[in-house]
Amino acid sequence: MSFRFRLWVFLVGAAGFAVLFAVACFGLPAFGSGHHPYGVRAVRASLNHHTANVIASVNFDLRAFDTLGEETILFAAVLGAVVLLRQTQDERRKTPEPAVVHPRVRRFALLTLPLALLVGLYVIAHGQISPGGGFQGGVVTATALHLLYVASDYRALERVRPLTVYEIGEAAGEAAYVVTGFAAVLAGSAFLANVLPFGTLATLSSGGTVPLLNAAIGLEVASGVVVLLARFLDQAVEIEEPGEDEESGDPREIEKPRESQGPGKPRESEEPRGCGRPKESEGPEASGASRDDDNRDDKRE
Amino acid sequence: MDTARLLPLVVAAPLLGAAVLAATGRWLPRLASDLLGCAFAAATAASALLVLFRAGHPGPGAYPVEWVGGWRPVGGSGVGIVLVGDPLGAGLAALVSLLVVAVLLYSWRYFDEPPRHHTGSFPALILVFQAGMCGFAITGDLFNAFVFFELMGVAAYALTGFRVEEPKPLQGALAFGVVNSLGAYATLLGITLLYARTGELGLAQIGRKLDTAGPDGLVLAAFVLVTTGLLVKAAAVPFHFWLPDAHAVAPTPVCMLLSGVMVELGVYGVARVYWTVFAGPGGLAHPAFTRALLVLGVLTALLGAAMCWQQRHLKRLLAFSTVSHTGLFLIGVAVLTPEGVSGTALYVLGHAGVKAALFACTGVLLDRYATVDEHELFGRARGLPVVGALFAVGGLALCGLPPFGSGLGKAVTEEAAGHTAGWLPALYVLVSAVTGGAVLRAGLRIFAGAGRRPRDQEGEPETTGEEVPETGQRLGRIPAPLVAVPAALLTASLAIGAIPAVASAVGRAGALFTDTGGYRRTVLDGRAAATPALPPPHWQTTGVLLGLLSTGLAIALAALAVRHPARTGRPALLAPVRRLQSGHIGDYVAWLAAGTALLTVLTVPGIR
Repeated sequence: MSFRFRLWVFLVGAAGFAVLFAVACFGLPAFGSGHHPYGVRAVRASLNHHTANVIASVNFDLRAFDTLGEETILFAAVLGAVVLLRQTQDERRKTPEPAVVHPRVRRFALLTLPLALLVGLYVIAHGQISPGGGFQGGVVTATALHLLYVASDYRALERVRPLTVYEIGEAAGEAAYVVTGFAAVLAGSAFLANVLPFGTLATLSSGGTVPLLNAAIGLEVASGVVVLLARFLDQAVEIEEPGEDEESGDPREIEKPRESQGPGKPRESEEPRGCGRPKESEGPEASGASRDDDNRDDKRE
Repeated sequence: MDTARLLPLVVAAPLLGAAVLAATGRWLPRLASDLLGCAFAAATAASALLVLFRAGHPGPGAYPVEWVGGWRPVGGSGVGIVLVGDPLGAGLAALVSLLVVAVLLYSWRYFDEPPRHHTGSFPALILVFQAGMCGFAITGDLFNAFVFFELMGVAAYALTGFRVEEPKPLQGALAFGVVNSLGAYATLLGITLLYARTGELGLAQIGRKLDTAGPDGLVLAAFVLVTTGLLVKAAAVPFHFWLPDAHAVAPTPVCMLLSGVMVELGVYGVARVYWTVFAGPGGLAHPAFTRALLVLGVLTALLGAAMCWQQRHLKRLLAFSTVSHTGLFLIGVAVLTPEGVSGTALYVLGHAGVKAALFACTGVLLDRYATVDEHELFGRARGLPVVGALFAVGGLALCGLPPFGSGLGKAVTEEAAGHTAGWLPALYVLVSAVTGGAVLRAGLRIFAGAGRRPRDQEGEPETTGEEVPETGQRLGRIPAPLVAVPAALLTASLAIGAIPAVASAVGRAGALFTDTGGYRRTVLDGRAAATPALPPPHWQTTGVLLGLLSTGLAIALAALAVRHPARTGRPALLAPVRRLQSGHIGDYVAWLAAGTALLTVLTVPGIR
C-alpha cells in the first residue's frame, strides 16, 4: 500500500471510531455523581475482611484470580524476553570493561541504594494498609539494585545479581501465588479464598491472605524486573553481534545476518512490496540498534 | 469434592507447571523437562475432561459454577469472579488441553537444542499459553476474559518469535504482537464503557443490568469495541493480516496451537459475549448482529480461500486456510441458532485435529528437506508414503469428507446457515473445496510428483532457500512422534464425526450456550438450566452429498492444477488482493481502524 492510501484507510477508520466513541461518551454517567455500585460493595467487602487498603483488597482478595492472570502475564513476558534475547550461536560474549564514575554520582547512588531498597520492601509489606503493594514495591526494589550499576559498573552489578537466584525467585513468586490458592482449597474453601484470620484492621498482620499474596507478587515482580533488565543490559553491554569485531573469525558467520535481510518484512511474504522503504523496517534494524555497544558510554562521564 | 472446585485447577495447574519448569528447567535433562511439561498438561486435560463429563451429563442439573475465592453474590450483585463450566466452555478447555499434550509430544524430538541454561522455557511457555486459553474458555467474567486474552497473547508472541536466529520469526511476532495488542486495547475500552454503565464486570451481571434499559450509542460502542479485539484474535477480514505472517514463521508445534485452537477462541469469545451480554432487549438487535458477522464471515471465507489457493509456501497456505475456515465459523455463529452454534463447535473440534495434523506433516517436510516450498519440494517426498498419506487424508478431511468431524461440522453448520440465506451452503462447499483442493494439490506434487513440474512465474518472489530445519540438522529417519501425533489427531477428528454420542453432546452444549436467560439464572441464581429438547445434530443425506461434492470438487481442482500449473497459478485479477498482505505493520493497523468503522456501520441499525 502506498503511504497515501494507507493514510486514507486509517483516517476513514479513525473518523468512524471517533464518532462512535464520542457518541458513547454522551451515554456515560454524569461526572461526579454518587452512583458507584461496585465501589460501595467492594469497600464493604474489604472492611469485612479487615483490609484497610481497598485497592489491595480488590486485587488480592475480591478479584485475586485476575491478579493471578496479571502476574502470569509479567511472568510470561519475562520468560519470553529471556528466550528471545538469548545469546545465539553466532553471537559472542565479551567481558565488560570497568568504567570510571564521578565520585559524586557514586556517593549519591550508594547512599540512595539502601534507602530505595528499604522503601521497596516497606511498600510490599504495607500493601494491605497503605497505597502500594507487591507490584509497586517490587519495581522499586528491583530499581534499587540497579543503582549499583549507576554507582559502579556492570561487573559490580553482576556480582550482586546472580541471575539464577532471581530467575528462581521469579518462578517461586508465581508458584507461591498458585500454592496459596491451592492451600485454601485444601482448607475446604474455594480457590484463592481468604482463609486466614483477618487480624486487626490497619495493622501489619491484617487482611488474611492479602499480605501473603502481596509478598508473592513482590518477589515475582522484583525478580522478574531484575531478570528482564539483565537480559536487555546483556544485549547492550556483553553480547556482540557477529561481525561487530574483526577478530570474530569465521567469515561465514559475518555473512549470515540481520542487516542483509533487507527492508521490512518477510521476503517470504511473497507479495511484491510496493512500499519497501528501508527506513520503515521494524525488525532487524531495530534490534540491531538496541545492541549498540556505544549507548553505555553515553551514561558515563 | 465438588466438580466445580476443579474449574480453577484448569488454569492453576498449568501455571504451577510453568513455574516449576522455569525454576528447575536449567538442571533437568531434556527428557525430564519434557515429561514434566506433558504431565502438567495431561493433568489439566484430565480435570477439564472431568468438568466436561459433569457438565455434559444429560438430564436436569446445572453445570458447574465456581466463584473464585468464595465470593458468591448476595442478592444478585457480587464482587467476585465466576468460572462457568458449561459444556461448550469446558469442552473447549478440554480441546485446548488435549491439543497441548499432543503438541508437547510432537515437540519431544523436534527442537534441536533448547536455549542454553533454559531447557524448560519452551514447555513452560506452552503451559502458560494453555492456561491463558483454558482460562479464557471457562471464565464468566468479562475483565477476567480480557486478562486471559492478554496472557495467551503474550505467550503466543514469544513462542512465535522463538527461533531468534532468523529475522523473520521476530518480524512475524512483532506484527502479531502489535495488531493483537491494539485489538486488546479496543476490547478494554469497550469493557470500561460497559463497567461505567452497569458497574458490573461479570458477563451475566452486565447482561442483566443492560436489559433494564433500551440500547443506545454506548451499548453499540461497547459491542463494537469488545468485538473488535476478539475479531482480531479470530483473524476476521480486515483484521486478519497478522495471521499468515505469524503462522508462516512460528515453530511448527506453535502453529498447531495457533491455528488449531487460539484463533477459534476469538470466534468463541464473540459468540459468548453476544449471547450472555448483548442478546437481550437492552443489547444489540439480532438482525444487526447477524448482518455484521455474516458480511465479515463471507468476506473472510472468500478472501482466505482465494489467498490459500495462490500460496506455494505450505505454512502460509495452511494459515490462509485457517483464515477462510474462521470465516465459515463466523457465519455459523452469525445465524444465531443453537444448530449454528453446535455445528460450528463440531466444525472447530474436527478442524482443530485436521489442521494440527497438516501442520505436523509440514513440520516433517521442513525438518527433512529444509524447505516448505511446494515447487521446490516437487516429487522429493516420494520416500515418505506414510506422511504423504496422512497429508492427503488431512486434505480430504479439510474438504469436509464424511465421516470426519470437520465434515459433520460443515454439514450441520451449512444447513443452519441455509435457513438464514439459501446461498450460504454453496459458499461452504466452494470454500472447503478450494482450501482442501490447495492442500491436495500441494500433497500430489510433493508426495507423488504428479503432473508437470511447476515453473516459477515471472515476478514471483522466491519462498525458498531461507528455511532452516527446526531440528538443527536435517532428519534422516523420521522419529515416531512426528508421525504418530498427526495420525492420532486425524483419528480423533474421524471419531468426532463418526461417534453419534459426541454429536449429541455438542448439540446439547449448543442449546445451553444459546440460552441467555438460562445462563444468567445458572450463574447468578444457582438455578438449574432446563436442558432444551432439540434433535441432536446428525448426518443427513444432504450434508453427506454436499460433503462428497466439495471433496469431489477439491480433487478435480487439485488434478487440474497439477496438470496445468501455468493456467491455475496466480490469476492477475487477484494481484491487488495479494498486495494487501504487504508485511507492513502500518498497513495492518490502518485496516484495523477501518475494520472498527466497518463494524460500526454494519451494527448501527441494531440499536433502534
